[in-house]
Amino acid sequence: MPKRNYLCIQRSQPGKGDKPSAAQMQEMYAKFSAWKEKFQENIVDMGGKLKGGGKVVTSGGATDGPFVETKEVVGGFMIVSAESMEEAVEVVRQSPGVWTPGSSVEVREISTA
Amino acid sequence: MRTPGLVEHFFRREYGVLVAALSRRVGVQHIGAVEDAVQGALMSALETWTIGGLPHNPSGWLFRAAHNRLMGELRQRAARRRILERDAPEGIGAHESPPEVFLAGEVRDDLLRMLFVCCDEAVVEESQLVFALKTLCGFSIREIALRLFISDANVYKRFGRARSRLRKHPPRDLGAEECASRLPAVHKTLYLLFTEGYLSSYAEMAIRRELCDEAIRLAALLAEHPVGQAPETFALLALMHLHAARISARQDASGGLLLLEEQNRKLWDRQQIQTGLEWLAKSAQGERFSRYHAEAGIAAEHCLAPSFQETRWDKVAQCYSLLERFAPSAVHTLNRAIAVAEWQGPAAGLDVLKGLEPPTWLAGSYLWSAVLADLYRRCGNAQAAMRYRDAALESAPTEAVRVLLQRRLKIGAVG
Repeated sequence: MPKRNYLCIQRSQPGKGDKPSAAQMQEMYAKFSAWKEKFQENIVDMGGKLKGGGKVVTSGGATDGPFVETKEVVGGFMIVSAESMEEAVEVVRQSPGVWTPGSSVEVREISTA
Repeated sequence: MRTPGLVEHFFRREYGVLVAALSRRVGVQHIGAVEDAVQGALMSALETWTIGGLPHNPSGWLFRAAHNRLMGELRQRAARRRILERDAPEGIGAHESPPEVFLAGEVRDDLLRMLFVCCDEAVVEESQLVFALKTLCGFSIREIALRLFISDANVYKRFGRARSRLRKHPPRDLGAEECASRLPAVHKTLYLLFTEGYLSSYAEMAIRRELCDEAIRLAALLAEHPVGQAPETFALLALMHLHAARISARQDASGGLLLLEEQNRKLWDRQQIQTGLEWLAKSAQGERFSRYHAEAGIAAEHCLAPSFQETRWDKVAQCYSLLERFAPSAVHTLNRAIAVAEWQGPAAGLDVLKGLEPPTWLAGSYLWSAVLADLYRRCGNAQAAMRYRDAALESAPTEAVRVLLQRRLKIGAVG
């Protein structure tokens, strides 16, 4: 079965949660690295973090945001390759730490047809 | 947990190193801003490194990131202050450019200096310890509360007090003389750090072990540096290694505590015992004999004894006598009584304690009642033994200790 690519969009609520301690950060880093290693076949592009702010371009011109509700911010994206939506969801579901409480990840298949 | 490309505890260690290095540059009065900057730098490392991989020099990367953040923050504060007080002078560090190199020797010096800064006599001991754990060892308030068995609020209060003292009275660059006068407090802090790790009988042993390792690491740094090269430092290191060498034999497979008598001496770390003995040999110089010498001597006797029965209890008892002289405490007398009981019999042990009026904190603790229960039991005085046994069981701080006491103090058992 041919693999398909999925775009994963991370959303989070800003200003949530305590600052992690150095030891916790170490653990997050280790878990994330382990996850990356486990799914390296699936990860097409680690994508990146998106900075706040930007412009929205419409036929009427460019305006500043807001892009979505202010209590929910698109924080980052990546591209995952999988045989099915279920597999893509599993890859994302197992990724630790990065998805903090109150955040969600939207998984969308990238159409090639 | 394995962290590819990074040494164990990398984040925590870097935290301490960075806080120490940056506080040295901008002054300890800015400790709050320094901690925020370091925290922020570690967070951005977490995000950047997990996505893009490790940079060529992770420590250097972190230093630059934290330094830039800190300078940005201080510049903003200075600007705010200038607006408030029109003609106030430029804030500290406003135009400082980041130093390009970050030498290993400098790191060591900064960490040590911070250790000395933490040991301000005007701050109570427990608060010194909290401050050291937070700034040098990278523990969060919550983690310190867990380790010291006090509430979050209490840790926060202690940390706040130490910090505000340093804000109001930032130490000038500590001179050799001042360092020398603070050295005993530094020893004490390291000693406390180690004991917190060692004496705790709590289930999370792995975490506790971490405190011991941290104390040994800092003490080793101290011993390398001219300000710390004193016989007491070497004795302290000897004591730490000799105790740590036995740590893994102190628990059975299910995490229960084991008596010295029951421990499998084959599990003791021979190499660490060797290291401890080398430090002990090195500590035997000069004219000062400290409590650390006495305690290291006791630990060495235990490490060198081929079995519990063959322990040189006379030497152990002697060391406790010395310890009582240097650091008078009823706990040391209590320990001497145990050694004397092994050496000359339980009645002689009881004699040591006769007429001793224990301070209330000791009289109410399980240690006192447990030793008396044990000695009376061995002398055949079942009634007194029972009374003290009940008191000991009642005041046992943890289930592990209670189980141990029940096993040891079984009335009618011979031992």
